[in-house]
Amino acid sequence: MAQTTQLTLDRWNGGTCPFGAGWRKLMMWWFIVTDGLLFAGFLVSYGYARILAIRWPDQAQVFSLKYIAVMTFVLISSSATMASAVDTARQGSRKTALRFVLLTLAGGAIFLGMQAYEWTHLIAEGARLNVNPWGDAAFTAYFFLLTGFHGTHVLTGLIVLTATAVRLAQGITTADGVEIAGLYWHFVDLVWVFIFTLFYLL
Amino acid sequence: MRLYWITWTILLAFTAVMLWADSATLPRTVFVVFMIAAMLTKASIIGGAFMHLRTERVELALTVVVGLLVTGTILFVLIAPDAARIHRMVSTYGPK
Repeated sequence: MAQTTQLTLDRWNGGTCPFGAGWRKLMMWWFIVTDGLLFAGFLVSYGYARILAIRWPDQAQVFSLKYIAVMTFVLISSSATMASAVDTARQGSRKTALRFVLLTLAGGAIFLGMQAYEWTHLIAEGARLNVNPWGDAAFTAYFFLLTGFHGTHVLTGLIVLTATAVRLAQGITTADGVEIAGLYWHFVDLVWVFIFTLFYLL
Repeated sequence: MRLYWITWTILLAFTAVMLWADSATLPRTVFVVFMIAAMLTKASIIGGAFMHLRTERVELALTVVVGLLVTGTILFVLIAPDAARIHRMVSTYGPK
């Protein structure tokens, strides 16, 4: 019995911190899991709408894939700058970390601006939540739903990063705080990988 | 920090190859399998390198990854087909 208890303790080896992460980081991970499930639900329902659709538009004729590729490049780059911000914050270089957070903010703002332009362009061509000039109405419904929900996450990320930048400049935020903000930002990038592949390319 | 920029280069290379595959004339099944494999690889790279799941304790990494994968699979394999069946029933037998 004592041996089993000891084994369990060794296995978890964390006492009040069984995952080896602080409660703030752990809560961010649980948030990411639940939010990820929400996106999974959207993407699964999109998949079935796609399978059931009689005539799904050719994405290459609706979107400029080069434009979407640039958006992807910007978001991946912003993820790399965010990871660098976490790394430099861990090394105690607050000013460099702040520069990287600001670069990430710029990347996110460019991405969001490009998405807003893409929306404006499609709306000008007659696309609505329930109206699709290129075929199946589910196409535009899912386009606005998926990219809109993702865009809201990017916007939230920008707010979080702004707060992190301000607190970092004031010396309030620790490296852990930068890492937690970074986790959220990488999650936003991760979700885009799925949307980019499943909605724009497949 | 070097690791992150190597990761960035790999992610961009994957994206470029995916865009190339989109413009190439590959058989549909090959194209879909390739795209999904590339997508999951990119997601693993982001999760492992940028989100540090690679260096986190295995309990945390497994809880996150398995939790998402299992629930996603249940959604796709068990729940969504029923939703699609109801959709077909309504459009076939429902009020015209």
